[in-house]
Amino acid sequence: MQPMIKVENLTKRYAGVTALNGVSFEVGRGEIVGFLGPNGAGKSTTMKILTGFIPASAGQVTVAGCDVFEESLEVRRHIGYMPENNPLYVDMRVNEYLKFRAKLKGVARADRKERVQEAMERTGIADVQDRVIGQLSKGYRQRVGLADALLHEPDLLILDEPTIGLDPVQIRQVRELIKELGKQHTILLSTHILPEVEMTCNRVIIIHRGKILASDTPENLRKTLRSGGMVNVELRAPLADVQSVLPVVPGVASVTVTTGDDGMVYAAVEAKADADPREAIYQAAVQGGWTLRELTRSRTTLEDIFVQVTREEDEAEEDRRDQRRSVLR
Amino acid sequence: MRNVPTLLRREMNACFASVLGYVVLVFLLVVMGFVFCSSIADLLASGTTQITVMRRFFYWFWLPSLFVIPAITMRLLAEEKRSGTIEMLMTAPVTDFEVVLAKWLGAVVLYGLMWGLTGLYVLILRKFTGGLTSLDFGPIASGYLGVLLIGQFLIAVGVLTSSLTKNQVVAFLISFALVFLFVIGIWFGEYFARGTTFGKLFEYISCFTHMEEFARGIVDVRTVVLYLSASFWVLFVTTRVVESRKWR
Ligand SMILES: Nc1ncnc2c1ncn2[C@@H]1O[C@H](COP(=O)(O)OP(=O)(O)O)[C@@H](O)[C@H]1O
Ligand SMILES: [Mg+2]
Repeated sequence: MQPMIKVENLTKRYAGVTALNGVSFEVGRGEIVGFLGPNGAGKSTTMKILTGFIPASAGQVTVAGCDVFEESLEVRRHIGYMPENNPLYVDMRVNEYLKFRAKLKGVARADRKERVQEAMERTGIADVQDRVIGQLSKGYRQRVGLADALLHEPDLLILDEPTIGLDPVQIRQVRELIKELGKQHTILLSTHILPEVEMTCNRVIIIHRGKILASDTPENLRKTLRSGGMVNVELRAPLADVQSVLPVVPGVASVTVTTGDDGMVYAAVEAKADADPREAIYQAAVQGGWTLRELTRSRTTLEDIFVQVTREEDEAEEDRRDQRRSVLR
Repeated sequence: MRNVPTLLRREMNACFASVLGYVVLVFLLVVMGFVFCSSIADLLASGTTQITVMRRFFYWFWLPSLFVIPAITMRLLAEEKRSGTIEMLMTAPVTDFEVVLAKWLGAVVLYGLMWGLTGLYVLILRKFTGGLTSLDFGPIASGYLGVLLIGQFLIAVGVLTSSLTKNQVVAFLISFALVFLFVIGIWFGEYFARGTTFGKLFEYISCFTHMEEFARGIVDVRTVVLYLSASFWVLFVTTRVVESRKWR
């Protein structure tokens, strides 16, 4: 089956800025994909191209098999889009606005009322339907934006920073809603907040400076992109023994040992890639006759991966720049 | 063009919801009321006919339009750009031209409705002149047609201006300048180049010449076509400006 979104070698140059530089990725039907990157990474630009608001400078982009530039109107019928900052006509009432949008999106007159009602119910705004949009809280406005995106029952929802500017309670509600919507729609959402993708998405695409750095499930990213993580060990044992034994335990990459006032020894162990040295550490403790109080592994968070990946990329960029500079000299 | 009625309806609702619309309406009624009263005062003093009252009424149509047209068009595209709603609009399955056309049409309808209310003054005039017989409705109708025809062109210019900026005030100032240039500039040209070929040209394109004809009851098809095609071209350019986000 053809993917919902297929992007090949997408490049976008604004006057003087290359916002996207040879981006390629796919989104399959039914996926919830998180587009993750710091501000200015090119997330919004990609989404604006996908929705046909601006064209690409180069590259091929198809949505549901239609070219976004050649068959723009057709593509727009497949997409429910919520732009960054969720712009709405603030002078209109909620149901009036949704009715207007449903008409624009070509929802048949006979279905219109039902669709508007359904969208309002799914997003939980039926009780504010007679209120003027400008007087709603940000959380409710975000739901109006989502309801609008759902009106024509699109295959694909594209949501640009759907939780930006909300308070923690609203953020949780909107995330729940997105997860719920993910059961029936393919979703591409962008965010610069890490926990967001961990919580809502099946797959993460990390984008930085207009390039895709990684694309995988959050779990796989953790597995492949990072060493085995950190193991925290708390022992009652002679410090010198711990310092000499732990570093040579199989699967251990490095150890930092400190002592506490309580006579305990604390060891922060960095595991080698794809290794879990906890059992070996336990064995070493038994052999040495140490009392083991804690042996826990802290999992790599996406945050670590993100920082790591973007740092690597920045360093590589710096190297290239240095090289260029030395060539020029 | 399927979406134009939907978009137009939204435009009309936005107009009636805004305070500015009513301020502009009052302004129009006050200015034209003033013109009308002074004409009637002249009529009573010097005994000229009511026909001249209406001619003078239509002659001064440019004065309120100078402010009314920039005021009702400045918001149209500038505000959509400022607030970002243009992105919602243009990513719905509608074409850029549909949007521009609906914006223009909405302002034209509003402008027409506002002038329609000045019809009250005509009824008052009828009272003064003592009944239907002495009032000729033909020139009045064609006079209003002229107001609408020239107005719709200037509105197209206003829509174009509004597409050029995110700032309503800037849009107002530019379209005020353009309308001013069109009305007063051409009037000056006509006045100072009188008798030369240029003078003839100015006279030919002068809205004063056209308005005078309309107020006398003459509807020249060439004039109608001139203004309508001029608007079409301006709206075409506006669409290009709106599309220009695509090649920047
Ligand atoms: N209209 C524009 N004109 C010029 N540069 C732009 C424009 N829009 C975005 N950019 C630039 O393109 C880059 C990517 O921006 P954007 O896609 O908005 O990033 P993100 O949404 O990931 O924060 C940024 O460097 C930004 O400054
Ligand atoms: Mg963005």
